[in-house]
Amino acid sequence: MTKKQKILTFIFIVIGAAAMIFFGMRAIRSVMRMRGAGPFGKPPPADQTDIALIRDWMTVPYVARMYNVPPDALFKSLGLADRENRKKSLKELNDEFYPDQSGVILAHVQAAVQSMQKQEPPPHFPATPRP
Amino acid sequence: MSDFLLTQVINYGAPLIGLILLLGALGLPIGASVVVIAAGAFSQQGFIDWLHASALGLAGAVIGDTLSYAIGYFAKDWIHHRFGASPAWISARDSFNKQGGLAVFFTRWLVTAIAIPTNLIAGGSGYKYSRFILYDIAGEVTWIILYGGLGYAFGSQWEIVSEFLGNFGGLILGVAIFGFGVSQLIKRQKQNTV
Repeated sequence: MTKKQKILTFIFIVIGAAAMIFFGMRAIRSVMRMRGAGPFGKPPPADQTDIALIRDWMTVPYVARMYNVPPDALFKSLGLADRENRKKSLKELNDEFYPDQSGVILAHVQAAVQSMQKQEPPPHFPATPRP
Repeated sequence: MSDFLLTQVINYGAPLIGLILLLGALGLPIGASVVVIAAGAFSQQGFIDWLHASALGLAGAVIGDTLSYAIGYFAKDWIHHRFGASPAWISARDSFNKQGGLAVFFTRWLVTAIAIPTNLIAGGSGYKYSRFILYDIAGEVTWIILYGGLGYAFGSQWEIVSEFLGNFGGLILGVAIFGFGVSQLIKRQKQNTV
């Protein structure tokens, strides 16, 4: 075994062992999280109610379908037109209408969905979106 | 990148899934596995049709794999000219011709990080395309059923599955690298004692 081969073999063993430890620990943590979710958790409710699952890559129609609320009411509560905004993500809407305030649209959509599911009127949106 | 693609998958559905898996199979780091898991969840939520998504996704992945195999195949002469006499290349080519099918199958869904090099080696080593495509389709079908099925089963909580599969893939890759290193060490020590 030449010196170069020895070094290469050593590098393989060290990188492999480091990857095993790093990803193994993370995989165990993921398994712990999976235990109480999906088919291993409680049967899901007919309508999704956990608003923490709303992400800023989602669109308004997607959120409306996921939480079984009317999409037009959700757009109305945001003060936005449906047709030109239905393919935009919550992040894109935020960047377009509130470029200096991150997470405004997401927070409002979460609050509006929660109110609509409780059959309450959605909260008033504090600011007027800029075109 | 993944977030942008997820939004577009919601908007454009199965045809975009096919395109993403094609680009992923060509080596673009666009998180194709995340898209497959999410597609399973989106079909469970009724946002996309699972049959169309699976069919177009499979077609995209297989076309992409074929193209990357072709890159290796057409670079065969250059590889032969450059490495043809190298014992390492001859040994790698021979072992790929013996056990390449399993490598193709498992790199489609278990150790996806090395799928592209596997395609290039398959094409460059003269591994028969008819055998490559057979194992490729079997592996891609396993990938779509397993990853998409888990996304479907976990529904809106699919991100937990994505996190687990990403870490599990890293763990398997680590085991493979470690195993390779140890096997090389044993082989060399045996050679030294003979």
